[in-house]
Amino acid sequence: MGAFELNTTISNLRNLRESDLSAYDAVYLGNIYCRIFEDNFLERLDDLEEGIALVKGQGLRAYVTSYAAPRNDVLPKVQKALETAAAAGADAIEVHNLGVLRMVHEQFPGMPAHVGGFANVYTDAGAEVLKEYGAVRFTPNYEISLDEVGAITSGVGMPAELVVHGKMPLGVSDYCFLLEYEQKWPEKCPTLCQKNLFLKQGDWAMRSVGKGVLSGKDVCMLEHLPALIAAGHTVFRIEAAYETPEYRLNIAKIYRAALERAAAGDWAEDESAWNTIREHTAVGLCNGFYFGRTGAEYVGKRPQPALAC
Amino acid sequence: MTHRLTEQLGLTWLLKPAIPGYGLVKASPLYTAKSWGIGVPKECAMLLAPAGNLEAAKQAFQAGADAVYVGLSGWSRGGARGEFDRAQLRLCIELAHALGKKVQLAANIIPKPQERQQLLRQLAELADWGLHAVILNDVGFLREVRRKLPGLAITASIGCGALNTSDALFYQDLGATAVVLPGYVEPQEIAAVKAKASIQIEIMLRMVQEFIQLGKCWMPSYLNFAAAEQGYRSKRLGGSVKRGGVGSCFRICEQPWTLLKDGVEADRRLLPSRQISQVAELGAFLDAGVDVIKIQGRSLSAEMVGAIIRMYRSAADAWKRGQKSDQKADQNADQKTNGNRAALPAMWTVQGR
Repeated sequence: MGAFELNTTISNLRNLRESDLSAYDAVYLGNIYCRIFEDNFLERLDDLEEGIALVKGQGLRAYVTSYAAPRNDVLPKVQKALETAAAAGADAIEVHNLGVLRMVHEQFPGMPAHVGGFANVYTDAGAEVLKEYGAVRFTPNYEISLDEVGAITSGVGMPAELVVHGKMPLGVSDYCFLLEYEQKWPEKCPTLCQKNLFLKQGDWAMRSVGKGVLSGKDVCMLEHLPALIAAGHTVFRIEAAYETPEYRLNIAKIYRAALERAAAGDWAEDESAWNTIREHTAVGLCNGFYFGRTGAEYVGKRPQPALAC
Repeated sequence: MTHRLTEQLGLTWLLKPAIPGYGLVKASPLYTAKSWGIGVPKECAMLLAPAGNLEAAKQAFQAGADAVYVGLSGWSRGGARGEFDRAQLRLCIELAHALGKKVQLAANIIPKPQERQQLLRQLAELADWGLHAVILNDVGFLREVRRKLPGLAITASIGCGALNTSDALFYQDLGATAVVLPGYVEPQEIAAVKAKASIQIEIMLRMVQEFIQLGKCWMPSYLNFAAAEQGYRSKRLGGSVKRGGVGSCFRICEQPWTLLKDGVEADRRLLPSRQISQVAELGAFLDAGVDVIKIQGRSLSAEMVGAIIRMYRSAADAWKRGQKSDQKADQNADQKTNGNRAALPAMWTVQGR
């Protein structure tokens, strides 16, 4: 790996084929929320095998994610996805469920495990346990601050993966209420959850993806990248599982260039980048919980783009 | 001393003639469980009741609970409401022991690194008092408690998000005594877990199933991060309830939302939630090998705790006697304890899982 890694998430082969990944170093394949998401890599194992080959063929690392909250009836499918990932040469498995982490550790001992944000890593003690189960990196729970993340990485010696742009997960459900609209709307499952759907109340907004809720605002850490690099962070994610290929490409190009400048100690803001970010933002920007504030707040110089969702 | 504390806490029922001479520390054998008309511990699954105060604990025990779980000020999800202070907790443990019952402590927030030793010391003291088990939420702290307090039973909280057999094995590996599964897990899933795992399976058969799974929600803190409370555990974390102290849940999921599709209002709605109560299906869960039946609700009134526990005790006793429960009667009784919350809306299915 170079000075840093920039990665993203893609749920199916169609999206993968439509996406220009030239600004990325790695891709997570699969949708963590729903088994019947359109052609989910985690259910279509031939597609998963092809997807891994496509990603690796571009010189990128191919990671395979796994379901955030699997019940027993899903575990056989998880098992098959893990077997496919291992056979196809995936570079790591992302796990949000600790039972799945145990499966990876027991059955695929050489496979690196990346602990996902739903695994609830809040402390160094928790991360230490997961490291013993084969975790080599972790996404901290989204609601902890950079100071807390730093205490974990320094205490455990395991790198953190930080969402630097995109809609961060706020919760996972066992139920998809969007299915209630299949009779009323022309859109149907399994593409219904990919529509532009927001839950709003006053100036609060959250993105609905059926069995998951994401932040309405896009996390944006662009102007804080030098601080992240200086703090020793090297793994960055653009969370774009429900975004367009244009979003995936244009945001990544901005971050790739900015990270390279920050890593080289040659930081300068590209003013044109902010116009692109605004164009790809529905209801504004936020910093998540990185600065110990309400997740929807933005801490920095940039004003909120005043766009309607 | 004991009487002063009892009066101070408003627990004069402990001093009434109904239990003459009842001592909090050295109970007369004449005034133990039997004299209260409370059955001896059951051979079937433990019935674990919530208690937000001593009156609720008393009502739970009288109604047939084998154990209660309580919060200790500052260390449990849900904040100050429904938590005991140390004196109340000690009274509760002594009361339970006098009745042949048990007390578990919900210490189910995630302590900050600098708080862990403080909480460990408290748990060690509570273990000396006779605390039966502690309910924990963080895998790191769970393992630390296992190593430092080997005699204390540990339950992996429902906030840990365990759902499947492999989850149960994970917490078994860590040394947990029990793991809590949500009440929407089906009996056959329990049986499958029990077939492979020796860890005790605790199921929260009466609970509110919110739209987002317990332990996997930070919607409230995304929209409004509670400010640190002045002078009260100011070092506590902010965020969701599992972070404790200033962590808060203001029921964001139960407020009306406008659903926008492509920027246009498509609906105004609540996010789905439901009251689960499986008393009518209790036999199936007991047949599946559940070890502990848990009831959610440390904020419930003492009367409500008593009513719910009586219902579950009756159903469990019927199962123990080999009798089939009257499911219709159980459902009717259950409805009466559901308050204003709708029970089991038909739209809630597992489709798409």
